Amino acid sequence: MNIHKKKQGSVALFFVGTQQGIKSFGENIQTLVNTLLLSIVYFVGVGIAWLMCKLSKRTFFAEKPRPEATTYWEPMDLKKRPMEEYRRQF
Amino acid sequence: MYILGISCYYHDASAALLKDGMVVAAAEEERFTRKKHDTSFPINAITYCLKSQCITMGQIDYVGFYEKPFLKFERLLGQHVQMFPWSLKTFVSAMPSWIHEKLRIRKSIKKLGYQGEVYFIEHHLAHAAASFLVSPFKKAAILTADGVGEWSTTTWGIGNENEIQLLGEIRFPHSLGLLYSTITAYLGFSVNNSEYKVMGLAPYGDMHKKTNLYYEKLKQVIDIKEDGSYTLDLKYFKYHYANRMPSRAMEKLLDGPTRKREGEKKGSGKESELTQRHKDIAAALQLILEEAMTAMLKDLYKKTQCKNIVLGGGVALNSVYNGKVLGKTLFKRMWIHPNPSDGGSSIGVASYIYHTILDKKREKRHQLSHAYLGPAFSTEEIQQFLDARGIKYSKFKNRQDLIASTAKMIFENKVVGWFQGKMEWGPRALGSRSILANPCNPRAKALLNEKVKHREHFRPFAPAVCADDALKYFDCDKPLPEITDFMLMVYPIKKEWHKTIPSVTHVDGSGRLQTISRKQNPLYYDVIKAFGKLSKAPILINTSFNIRGEPIVCTPADAYTCMMGTGIDCLVMDTFLIQRSDNEQDQWNSEQYAND
Repeated sequence: MNIHKKKQGSVALFFVGTQQGIKSFGENIQTLVNTLLLSIVYFVGVGIAWLMCKLSKRTFFAEKPRPEATTYWEPMDLKKRPMEEYRRQF
Repeated sequence: MYILGISCYYHDASAALLKDGMVVAAAEEERFTRKKHDTSFPINAITYCLKSQCITMGQIDYVGFYEKPFLKFERLLGQHVQMFPWSLKTFVSAMPSWIHEKLRIRKSIKKLGYQGEVYFIEHHLAHAAASFLVSPFKKAAILTADGVGEWSTTTWGIGNENEIQLLGEIRFPHSLGLLYSTITAYLGFSVNNSEYKVMGLAPYGDMHKKTNLYYEKLKQVIDIKEDGSYTLDLKYFKYHYANRMPSRAMEKLLDGPTRKREGEKKGSGKESELTQRHKDIAAALQLILEEAMTAMLKDLYKKTQCKNIVLGGGVALNSVYNGKVLGKTLFKRMWIHPNPSDGGSSIGVASYIYHTILDKKREKRHQLSHAYLGPAFSTEEIQQFLDARGIKYSKFKNRQDLIASTAKMIFENKVVGWFQGKMEWGPRALGSRSILANPCNPRAKALLNEKVKHREHFRPFAPAVCADDALKYFDCDKPLPEITDFMLMVYPIKKEWHKTIPSVTHVDGSGRLQTISRKQNPLYYDVIKAFGKLSKAPILINTSFNIRGEPIVCTPADAYTCMMGTGIDCLVMDTFLIQRSDNEQDQWNSEQYAND
């Protein structure tokens, strides 16, 4: 009876182990593919955008303080808007 | 009308439920998943909110999300473009979660069975709403400051009745919150978690601007204008393109490499030594934060001429500075949400939908007067748990017995786990899931640090005092601000009491007090008063019911496990008393789990 249970246990363990192994293998492949694809997107997409920004001298943020500036506050006017605007994710 | 607010995917995911504008339930996801600062979609917190009102997702009228995901994504892309090619690693690691979940938040919400529209508001607007709309003020000046939202890192504005107008911002990567986090990382503590440790370390350093060498050095990193607006010199930082926060230039400036934690390997729990240099750096950082905040608030008063101020965002958790605001500026009253960082934004967005978008008037009942918004367990549920687990326990005869026995145990220097009623909202234990101890015992701090909390020796413990006794023991603002109820203010302890309550007196003579009124939490209030009759000082040590690295306990099972794995002597859970010595100790030892 006990031996039978033990055998059942080892068989179940084998399948669980195999399942975990396959899952882990799948995840590794996914990471690899993601890295590869995202690297391509980065060098092509982000790289081209960077080049265009360099040519047009556009920056997204200042990297150095501006001693001549009197304030670093940037004006904003965030107040109640029409309801539809809150349904947008941007 | 039910409105559900959700915040997630950055840190401290949470959900909050409003019924006709009143907050009826709110909780952070970490309490259910037992992962500290859990960022994942708060399915457990949502389930709790719905269960608390016996409703389903189909009965929710509006759902709000605490930021605009596409605006944040735009900022992220802007960062990568500007920092090309140095940002490759962060781009590759961050993009999958954006593609798979962060940009699909609407879909995740709809999957729960919600049929209506999802409303999105800006991150700092959610912070402002969380603070202003549930505050006692009809009109107030607003200042929010945190790490970063979409683009904003600091904003100012005005709240008037049920409307908020944000009028100025400082944009990423220039951020007071991220400066504080960078130095936190430099000092070897974890980011978005241990900033309060740096605040606690600061008084051990030189708090004088003229003599602290690192004050002048850190001033090179940030340029603060007269109106408090600031910018950072990015050569000292790497967070805008790498997974590391301080740059080599910062390490050179601060005379040494980033402090490494020996305890990084799970289990050792010990950090490398903190030297006087580290303490001085922490002090310099605190000085700079206070300087910038004071200048901003003074300027804000000039611009708004408003006597009330509300603060929001993670920087508002700097309780040392909070305690100084009214003394250093012309503001007369102040309010801060009990959970001012991202977690609290779920209440922010829900309140904004109710009051501002739907144009509902603010009334007194909408004010957040307490933080007991989490799950509670009935006496029957707790007894069922104890019986099912075969736990040995006794039952208090009545309420008086519970109060007198608990006060006596604390007076006899026992460490008491205190599990009563609804779990607190926010990062502080406020007398529902607390560990209580005797502040008059000079060894209590060391005992709690070593045997229970496994935390750094320099961190102070907080005193809990009844509101009517606070002015006797503390040099507080007068009148006492309501937010002392939320343990958000540090005040000096009056000198004559330093020796009486040594275990809650920090090295600089201050204490981060929590005040309790009888109306708010009668049982806790009565225990403190009963302890006062025995000790002549009605003050208790109140620290969160957890060990370092774990979220505060939520369920009876969490509380029992925490007690049995630590040096907590007994657990007062509802009307039951569970003695550690009566029960078989679990195999696990909490010390091995103690981590940052």
